[in-house]
Amino acid sequence: MEFLGSASDALCIAQARRRQVYDDSMYKSKNLHAERRRRQKLGDRLLALRSLMNKATIVEDAITYIQMLQRNVKVLSDQLLEMDSLSVQEDEEPTRDEINASEQMKKYGIKEDVKVTGIDGNKLWIRVVFEKKRGGITKFLEASTSLGFELTDTNVTTSKGAILVSSCFKGIYGNALGVEQTKKLLQEIIRNM
Amino acid sequence: MYEEPGCFDPNNSMAEGVYSGFPQAMANNQKQFEENLELSAEELSYHHHNHQEDTSVSAMELELQKYLSFNVENCDNNTYRSHMMQQVVDDRNQLLSYDHSNWNTGDIGFNQDDPQQNGHRSFNINSLPQTPDLLNLFQLPRCSLLPNSSISFANSNHDTTPLGFIEDLPASDSTSVLYDPLFHLNLSPQPPLFRELLPSIPHGYNLPTSRSDANSLFGDERDSNGVKAYQDEDGGMLEFARDMACIVRGSGNGKKKKPFTTERQRREHFNKKYTALRNLLPNPSKIDRASIVGDAIEYTKELLRTVNELKLLVERKRCGRERIKRHKTEDDAVGDVEQSYNGSLRSSWLQRKSKDTEVDVRIIDDEVTIKLVQRKKIDCLLFVSKVLDELQLDPHHVAGGHIGDYYSYLFNTKIYEGSSVYAGAIANKIIEVMDREYAAAAPTSI
Repeated sequence: MEFLGSASDALCIAQARRRQVYDDSMYKSKNLHAERRRRQKLGDRLLALRSLMNKATIVEDAITYIQMLQRNVKVLSDQLLEMDSLSVQEDEEPTRDEINASEQMKKYGIKEDVKVTGIDGNKLWIRVVFEKKRGGITKFLEASTSLGFELTDTNVTTSKGAILVSSCFKGIYGNALGVEQTKKLLQEIIRNM
Repeated sequence: MYEEPGCFDPNNSMAEGVYSGFPQAMANNQKQFEENLELSAEELSYHHHNHQEDTSVSAMELELQKYLSFNVENCDNNTYRSHMMQQVVDDRNQLLSYDHSNWNTGDIGFNQDDPQQNGHRSFNINSLPQTPDLLNLFQLPRCSLLPNSSISFANSNHDTTPLGFIEDLPASDSTSVLYDPLFHLNLSPQPPLFRELLPSIPHGYNLPTSRSDANSLFGDERDSNGVKAYQDEDGGMLEFARDMACIVRGSGNGKKKKPFTTERQRREHFNKKYTALRNLLPNPSKIDRASIVGDAIEYTKELLRTVNELKLLVERKRCGRERIKRHKTEDDAVGDVEQSYNGSLRSSWLQRKSKDTEVDVRIIDDEVTIKLVQRKKIDCLLFVSKVLDELQLDPHHVAGGHIGDYYSYLFNTKIYEGSSVYAGAIANKIIEVMDREYAAAAPTSI
């Protein structure tokens, strides 16, 4: 009941303000004004109409709209998938960046490296630098876990064609890890990547 | 079309005629009310006898009843009546409230003759303070409605008043017929006028849209909770508005389903709607309505972003393919297949939550930032890394660790060129993998 009242009030206020603005700029084209006014009139009325909606309609409309959007998303993503499958024949050569990785490393003098230190009981801190490759991090992680290492507080950074991994190693089974042993294992891992 | 169960006669022009009459009524003089009231008693009895079998009339009456938004109910409760009357009295500005009282008073005159009348017809015409005002509603120009005069029953076994509007027609015998006073009038439809009426319908006045469920709409609202709930829902009054619009325009939109006979049904219906909305949302958390609506708002925004993102990607793909074709045919030296971006920057953001995992994915152009928080149980880094590879994302930076009970990670990745992965896919995939791993790891929790 109050909706219409408040909506029309808002309408009036908005229109009054606008009338002020229009009076000031009389030199502009009248058509422009008229058109703008008409558009604003429509906008205000739409707002008023929307304010009239009751709760049930709003919820229902929301449901409908969301469903429509979901359908759109589905259609578009299917389209995308289809386009993807169609265009598979374009070979995905490794991008130039990837090809240059090892060259970059050499250029900047970055060397593969493994550092291991023991900290705090049966934890080890490791720092490994190796060449950047597609899926390299995954390989490293995989190898580490398969060897019985558990990584905590990991930090991985990539720069200049190299990957730096610094992490805290722990034995998955709670066993203590030897520093030298771990170092050797890690070096082995990088070599095999 | 306006859907009316049973006896409704889709005589739209009539309906329109009926409704258009009321605005005019409001403009009229109050004084005539009493005269009409006098007349009404006679005419009521007259019409009562004459229009008993008039089904079309009854259909119109039903319409009228509906659109007058009277709470027709079967309630025998005196207090209810007075409550209604009270509401009417309080709402001086409500034209239709006048209408309501008016009906009541006219009703009263008639009812005295009816032995079947319930006790609530205790109102005395003279005791109604509002009666003069009420008249307004019914003072139509000559050709318009004299509601009091033409109210009548067609159904003798109907135990309610001749003013079927006010009384709820019993569900069982929906044969009760109300004579539509405006039936014979050919009033032109004036939707806008009537629309103005709609907001003025007082709270708590329900609009029975069918006879069968007319009963106890108001009765249920009698208790404070009921009224409150009704007011919360706000459904009835503005439903009326919508219904009116439907009738007047002849379109069948809005809450056209059978109206609810009880407040509880209405509430249940609303709750069903809310839960339906909730089921659409990907991250439902709390069950209270405010959160549902809030989540719906966020989700809608997210969906809009996703749609834009996808459109952009599709566009890019299409451009890319065309460029490739062109390159092949034109013998271009530079095979810049991947430089197929159109001008706009793609950006999107969404969040997904599951029981143990929260994922936040942000994409700007070809950089994807993923935040992952999950309850510490399994080493997720490896799995996420695998997922990123699958999704053709190249992790540039990864940082994170244990925080209390949780793992928290931030992944800065770049999309490999040529891949058209989008934010929703990333988030969903990650969540899926996480949940799967959690399920797999559950029996062997560390």
